[in-house]
Amino acid sequence: MELAYIIGLNQKKLIRTNNISVKYGEIDIKFPNINLDYGGQMLIMGKSGSGKTSLLNILGGLLSPQTGNVLVNDTDLFSMSNNKRDNFRGQQIGFVFQTPHFIKSLSVNDNLKFSQYMSSKVNQPKIDMLLKKVELNHLKKSSIQNLSEGEKQRISIIRALVNQPSIIFADEPTSALDDNSCNNVVDLLTNLSQENNTTLVIVTHDKRIKDKFPNQINLNDF
Amino acid sequence: MIFKLAWRNIITRPLSSGLSVVLLSSSIMVIVLSMLTMKQMRSKFNENANKIDLVVGAKGSRLQSVLCNVFHIDYPNGNIKLKEVDFLFKHPFVKSAIPISLGDSYKKHRIIGTNPNFITEIYNGSILKGNFFNKSLEVVIGANVAAKLKLDIGDSFYGSHGIEESTHDHEDFPYRVVGILSPTGEIIDQLILTSLESVWQVHPHNDKKGSFDLKTAEEHDHHSHDHKTEVSENNSEVTAVLVNYNSPRAKFSIPGIVNQKNALMGAEPAIEIKQLLDLIEPAVNVIYVLSLFIFGISLFSIVVTLLNSMKDRKYEISMMRVGGASVRLIFISIILEGFFIGLIGSISGLILGHSIMGIMARFLNIKYNYQFSGLVFDSLELVLLFLTILIGMTAAIFPAIAAYRLDISKTLKNKT
Repeated sequence: MELAYIIGLNQKKLIRTNNISVKYGEIDIKFPNINLDYGGQMLIMGKSGSGKTSLLNILGGLLSPQTGNVLVNDTDLFSMSNNKRDNFRGQQIGFVFQTPHFIKSLSVNDNLKFSQYMSSKVNQPKIDMLLKKVELNHLKKSSIQNLSEGEKQRISIIRALVNQPSIIFADEPTSALDDNSCNNVVDLLTNLSQENNTTLVIVTHDKRIKDKFPNQINLNDF
Repeated sequence: MIFKLAWRNIITRPLSSGLSVVLLSSSIMVIVLSMLTMKQMRSKFNENANKIDLVVGAKGSRLQSVLCNVFHIDYPNGNIKLKEVDFLFKHPFVKSAIPISLGDSYKKHRIIGTNPNFITEIYNGSILKGNFFNKSLEVVIGANVAAKLKLDIGDSFYGSHGIEESTHDHEDFPYRVVGILSPTGEIIDQLILTSLESVWQVHPHNDKKGSFDLKTAEEHDHHSHDHKTEVSENNSEVTAVLVNYNSPRAKFSIPGIVNQKNALMGAEPAIEIKQLLDLIEPAVNVIYVLSLFIFGISLFSIVVTLLNSMKDRKYEISMMRVGGASVRLIFISIILEGFFIGLIGSISGLILGHSIMGIMARFLNIKYNYQFSGLVFDSLELVLLFLTILIGMTAAIFPAIAAYRLDISKTLKNKT
């Protein structure tokens, strides 16, 4: 596999990782190699402390691995300068977290617009279209602080999509939600990423969503 | 967008941002106020002091003599006999010697007995309406007196004895307005001018006093006046003679001659005013140092405010980084917050400084008849504005570095 990877015999993938690991003090965590197609969906499961979030942060270029490399769209994330990596992330990657954080001083619309501004892609019609899709258009001018947790999570999914990224990484997006909201959020994520031809990677320990994704990696197995 | 973000971050934290702005604007206000007061005081004092080379008056305080006879804000030392200063009118080094006689006022505007040269030679004044005074009890009034007291040609009024607290009016001697002066922006705008003879006629004491110690106006025995007494100019008194030289050599000879005489004292306005300003300067410097101290505190407050704000916003900042914001963009947005605080603080400080100067000017105008203004500007204010903004931005550097060093992965791990 190593040789095939080097000489490029594999089919062209959006994400490829090669022998990545992280070290927390004395603990070394090694991760399986990941190969994910364009438009594909993957669920990464694992119990607490298995390194799910660390893996997601490495894949998203937020955390440098101890060893190995990560190729996104054939670009080695960690051979880039910090500035270029920030810019690449803004253009190619969207994130959804368990607790959605926003710029509290800005309105819903300005938060989404600021996401576009950071990757130089300001496109108000795209924001309007996505807001309509999640039926939150009426909250466009509201302060982000006035939204419910469910509304915030939906806005955070839109924020991940406003720049039309190639990949969305979602870190425990459903852990704090009830069953109904959990299903809604997963459906929204999968549907919107399919519609936008965006690759979706979810890391979670939430077994409720296990059956929705045929392509899975369980970090407990490594 | 980045400007909007920085601005919104400030206005959504009104208390902490407000404290920084209030501290900054207070220090700017004190600096501006001191600066404008000193500037106007220096300019008014110098511009009036430079009009007269020497004030010859009664022995006493030189500064008081200058303040009273040139600036018309203090009381006279006493009177001098005209015959004792006769030599000044004939001296070859003297370009002009103009006697003045003080004693009365009308609604806090001093009535000065003098001759028309006081208007034309010292203040380059001209008549806007009417004529110069020609007969006794005719007056020419300054532009502000006419405007403030609504006096016009032909109007009459009675002078009050003294300046501050008057015990009585000279009801037998109505002054009549015959002329109104063009505005000059100088002290003459606030004066009522008449002939020396008018003053002597109103105050014809046995010793032919032409003026009075204004401090003791209450002691003045009105009933001892013999209003019908003819005054003899030879024996008459004046408060002072304002002298201008026509030769640089006069500076070295005339004050000496004057001071040798027992009853006379020469005071050079330029020197006295310089000494006065030198006396005031340290007090103003203390105010400057105090305001710089407040300035320092306000900068510290900006650092603390923004650092606290960074703590509150670390998840926001992490999310911005996750969303592709470069550390440079984050750094700039925080520096911009310092810029806005500096800008608001300095502009509000400048506005406050000018407004308070305006209020003080009204008081000074009423109390001393001196035209100060809140609408006077100094080029240093522009320097102050830029300096404050620069310092506000500099103060934001520490919080910006804190944001720059933020570990996104660790921050998000703690709250995802």
